[in-house]
Amino acid sequence: MKRFQRLLAAVLTVCFANATMIQTAQAGMISTEQVARTGAEQGTGHERLTAALARADVQTAMQQQGLDTAVAAERIAALTDEEASALADHIDSAPAGGIIGAILLVFFVLLVTDILGLTKVYPFTRSVR
Amino acid sequence: MTRTAAPASRSRRAFATAAGGLLAAAALGGCAVQTAGLLADPPADLAPAVELADTPFFPDDSHFCGPAALATALGAAGFATTPHALVDKVFLPGRAGSLQLEMLAGARRAGAVATLIPGTLEALMRETAAGHAVVVLQNLGLSWAPSWHYAVVVGYTLDEREFVLRSGPMRRQQLSFRTFEHTWNRGGRWAFVALPPGELPATATEAEATRALVAFERSATPAAAATAYRGGLARWPASVTLRIGLGNALYAGDDLAGAEAEFRSAAEAHDAAAAWNNLARVLLEQGRSAEARRAAERALAHAGPLEAQVRATLAEIDAHAPR
Repeated sequence: MKRFQRLLAAVLTVCFANATMIQTAQAGMISTEQVARTGAEQGTGHERLTAALARADVQTAMQQQGLDTAVAAERIAALTDEEASALADHIDSAPAGGIIGAILLVFFVLLVTDILGLTKVYPFTRSVR
Repeated sequence: MTRTAAPASRSRRAFATAAGGLLAAAALGGCAVQTAGLLADPPADLAPAVELADTPFFPDDSHFCGPAALATALGAAGFATTPHALVDKVFLPGRAGSLQLEMLAGARRAGAVATLIPGTLEALMRETAAGHAVVVLQNLGLSWAPSWHYAVVVGYTLDEREFVLRSGPMRRQQLSFRTFEHTWNRGGRWAFVALPPGELPATATEAEATRALVAFERSATPAAAATAYRGGLARWPASVTLRIGLGNALYAGDDLAGAEAEFRSAAEAHDAAAAWNNLARVLLEQGRSAEARRAAERALAHAGPLEAQVRATLAEIDAHAPR
């Protein structure tokens, strides 16, 4: 099952990557993303390969984070190459807005800092001015 | 189970963290730099108070502040949606939250252009004054005990020194400039505005607007992408990237004549190899091989890293119309 999922992930990644690549590659047009990119590597096969690998990495990581294969593939398709590479590097560590973490442990500290107006964890605090 | 041992070590640890926290708090005490500057010398043309009261509100008390904030901003920009509909687009279960890049991508998938704005309190104010709700990432906790949270700035009052936000369960959170600045600083002063294609944030830089528009093209229909690029060109008419982007969007929408005009304009104004190459492709598709060859040769003159693609264009021209 696990192996099947990984295979499916790989196939979908390639499909989605191609959907955007073929658009430009078939017609031989240089894409705006390519124009916008700066640096010596611009437009080289090496960069394309790196981007494709980044997308595959993000696909795997997203599935490990609980997304199903198709949902992850759609989300990756909406990312630029630059964004996909950034996400591949930081998906486990980048800020994920939504988690109210570590609050119990540091309740007291945060209460004090809330009152000092440095943080705003608790709705009931009113900071000193 | 060693249940009895646990409380002792936990309380010791709690004490240590508390002491550390107080030290950190003391160290952080005086660093609301922007607030001080802004209050000492507010820009003369800044409206004293703004509130976008019509901005929708989606109360959230769980991990879905990402979808909620995004639905709020999209609703304000005219894209009616719900947090529920956005969960699959921006929420990452394993992280119990939403990542910044996916918030931008989620906005684009809903049809909006999502542009990062400068990390200044003044930029937040100027956007709300321009009628734009701003999604911000806050770290409501501390750097070493982060509590990442998305909220939407919908206004401010200079007199009261407060921002007004749609935040979590609060429809109208009033947060002092100073506290907001602390929580925003700890989140990297990250903020974006989502707008319909053709409109751009008042404070966006050319670099960020370009990044946003190019990314938008990926998810957008050709017509929407063209409208978005036109909006960018209205503000930065000399941008070669936006001009080529408009050409590519028109080409994707099968408007060959329109695409030709934009590529020609970019090619002649900037002598850009990408523009010459794409112009050659459009000309070739219209059966104008001689003109196409001239354009492709101009592209080859300084193709740099694009050389392989330009040579492929030339080869195709040769295949259609041998020299």
